[in-house]
Amino acid sequence: MIAFENAPPFAAPLRFFLTAPLFAVLAGLLVLFEGPDLFASRWMPATLAATHLITIGFMLQVMLGALIQIMPVVAGANLGHPLRVARILHAGLTLGCLLLSAGFYFSRPSLLIGAAWILGGALAVFLVAGARALIGVASTSPTIRGIKLALFGLFGLALLGVGMAFGIAGGWPLPFAGLTDLHAAWGLGAWGGILLAAVAYVVVPMFQLTPGYPAWSGWWFPPSVLGLALLWSLAVGIDAVILGRLAQAGLALAGMAFGIQTFRLQRQRRRARADVTYRYWQIGLGATLLALLQLLIVAIWPGAAELPGWSLAFGVLLVAGGYVSFIVGMLYKIIPFLAWMHLQNQGMAKVAAPNMNKLLPDLDMQRQLKAWGLTLLLLLAAIGWPDWLARPAGLALAASSGWLWLNLYGATRRYRHFGRDIDEKLAALP
Amino acid sequence: MTHPKTPHVVDARYMEPPEPFVKTMEMLDTLKPGEKMLLLLYREPHPLYKVLAQNGHAHETELLPDGTFEILISA
Repeated sequence: MIAFENAPPFAAPLRFFLTAPLFAVLAGLLVLFEGPDLFASRWMPATLAATHLITIGFMLQVMLGALIQIMPVVAGANLGHPLRVARILHAGLTLGCLLLSAGFYFSRPSLLIGAAWILGGALAVFLVAGARALIGVASTSPTIRGIKLALFGLFGLALLGVGMAFGIAGGWPLPFAGLTDLHAAWGLGAWGGILLAAVAYVVVPMFQLTPGYPAWSGWWFPPSVLGLALLWSLAVGIDAVILGRLAQAGLALAGMAFGIQTFRLQRQRRRARADVTYRYWQIGLGATLLALLQLLIVAIWPGAAELPGWSLAFGVLLVAGGYVSFIVGMLYKIIPFLAWMHLQNQGMAKVAAPNMNKLLPDLDMQRQLKAWGLTLLLLLAAIGWPDWLARPAGLALAASSGWLWLNLYGATRRYRHFGRDIDEKLAALP
Repeated sequence: MTHPKTPHVVDARYMEPPEPFVKTMEMLDTLKPGEKMLLLLYREPHPLYKVLAQNGHAHETELLPDGTFEILISA
């Protein structure tokens, strides 16, 4: 018997994991449909729509679904009513993301306001449930402290996002350019970066058989990133330009330190074969380090941000190249593992669960990985040659994300098949 | 493998789940009352903690500078 009887039912995280790739497909179709215009600037309506289809529809969807699943396992924090929270959150994220993207794309204030209420409400439900689960849990590991601080980061991200949606819809005189950068810093740093690190401290050694992260870095990285995001916010609030640039440089350096450390740990892994997760993480780390180098350069020389394609390259590298790659790499481990674990429990130590490779064949993942690599190259090249490559890049994004969905759906289909098989074998036992 | 804290050690730092759990439960079965065992891992095994508590085993955890969690479990 495996000790996961307190883990939430498979249905709780699965709905998020199977919805997320569809949002990436939608983003790809939007790029395909819009073509070169989407690469004209980060402020184009279609660009804002595509960005949020990926960041909320794909990234946030998987991150929160996974968090519901892993909080009991990595933090000993049990979410009350996990299935109910999952249902509300999943519905809110799905509907809210669609409304938000439509609001940006069609420039419709009413849709933005609707999205802000729904996304804000769904995140509030999750944050309250998460805080209640974690409130009595001592921060005995860097992961627990990291998850607590990441939730604070999510709160900041949501507050800025909801505020800006109301601001845009209501035509408030806000400094939107600075606030957008800050919103991204909270989303990709204080929330995404801290959560990624907190989870990496557990899953990189566990799934890739590497040494552990040194304790000092685990204790320091999450509070440093949160502190720097707060410093950046203060700088925007009091209009202190140099302070803001210092915070940017600090975030870039902290992220680079984490990335280089992870690279080094992965080099010392005890698993001889480079599996798909390892390769996805290598792509993710390489792209992230390039994006953070851009951030460091902008902190030193702000004029760089005005270079053609600079901001778009940063977004493609960090969001698609970094986060999406890390997330897919983890999904390819987590889904077969969860499916195997539930089958193992179902077998009640009398019928063995099938090998994980039978749930999600390696070859399917390897092929999809190649398609994703091509997608990233096309997205980056499309920034330089949008007339030629914008539509192929969109097609590639839609196709490789659709392929991801097929792989994940295939795993759940096989899981149900093996589940029936185990039931039959159990019934036949004397 | 032995350790200053106890001769009964499961070094599960390079094992994939569920091996650390299985090996720990196997070793606990071999211990006499009053004896202790040590589990080494690069993470805190919260699901294992729950099972240990249910079965009346006390545990103490220490995080070492290299990222190893030393979990000392009483039989």
